[in-house]
Amino acid sequence: MLGEFEYLMITAAAGLGDNAYGAAIREEIEATTGRKCSIGALYTTIDRLETKGLLKTWMGDATPQRGGRAKRMVRVTPKGVHAAKDFYDAVTRVSRGASWVANRTGSAP
Amino acid sequence: MTSTGWSFVEAAARLLARDEREAVLGDLLEADENALQGLFGVLSLVFRREAALWKSWRPWLAGFGVALPSSFLLMGFSLSVSWSYLTLRCPELLQKSSLTLGSGSLVLLCQALLLIGWSWTGGFVVGSLSRRTLWASTLLCYSPCLFCLSRFRVDPLSRFCLLLFLLPAIWGVHQGLRISRMKLSWAIALAITVTALMLPGWSSGAHHWWAPPRWTLDWVLCWPAWYLVATARRAGSKAGLGGSDGLWSGHREQQTGMS
Repeated sequence: MLGEFEYLMITAAAGLGDNAYGAAIREEIEATTGRKCSIGALYTTIDRLETKGLLKTWMGDATPQRGGRAKRMVRVTPKGVHAAKDFYDAVTRVSRGASWVANRTGSAP
Repeated sequence: MTSTGWSFVEAAARLLARDEREAVLGDLLEADENALQGLFGVLSLVFRREAALWKSWRPWLAGFGVALPSSFLLMGFSLSVSWSYLTLRCPELLQKSSLTLGSGSLVLLCQALLLIGWSWTGGFVVGSLSRRTLWASTLLCYSPCLFCLSRFRVDPLSRFCLLLFLLPAIWGVHQGLRISRMKLSWAIALAITVTALMLPGWSSGAHHWWAPPRWTLDWVLCWPAWYLVATARRAGSKAGLGGSDGLWSGHREQQTGMS
């Protein structure tokens, strides 16, 4: 089962598609969650997910706005998609009946 | 980001692997973070990387199981070898020791070979176990050396005779970094030779009741040689025993996951 931050990273990378790399994923996570994402947490999580086979990374092109430095590109593997879907399903299931869910199916006091 | 601040960030980023350094510095430039934020980000990544290495047992074993205890004991043995050499060079000392020139030379030869064997195998194990945490193992090895060097007063020996073990140990570390595992037959031959060279020392010399037996200290220095046998055996069983020619059965480049 994925951790919360791992899920956020896979979802952000999947959403960015071919433009998924370190800075873009970090910006996406910060924009959607409103929380700060440190470089340390980002790259150690990318490594962990790659070790698990959920992400694939490679060094991409350098751009002038990055001072001519290469990007570390990220792609979600089919195994990563499956793990993210499992996490999402589990969160959805466990959230049924919670007071903050708009269309509750279960009964809550 | 100011050039001065950026130079600090770049200096800190040198602690990262080359590709990761490129990606991280590029990300910081793209995000237009200030120098302090960039420095904090890079240092947090360096810290996380280092902490991840220490989750493994390997650097702990290399540092506290080999480097620290071995440097203490090998300094003592280096002193012993130096003293044997001095005894051979000085007729009065040779006469007092009840040794002949021939037997004294043999003792010195055995001691020198044992010192080289212990130091080399210890260094090899440290190099192979703690590739990316070698700085810590080095620190744990040199700290006792500096402590003893500052307090060493034995005339007519130079204080640097304590460090005779360093050269073969550094050679061993270099080999351990470069090569993953020894070929099984060579590892066994080395371990048996080192063990055999230890045996004459157990029957000679005065022993104090409060001191640990000589053989226990010798085994602290000897176990790296048998560790090489154990790891060589495992490599052999995977790849087929004796499958490669020469002293070594594998190169470091094949072991991408080792710390």
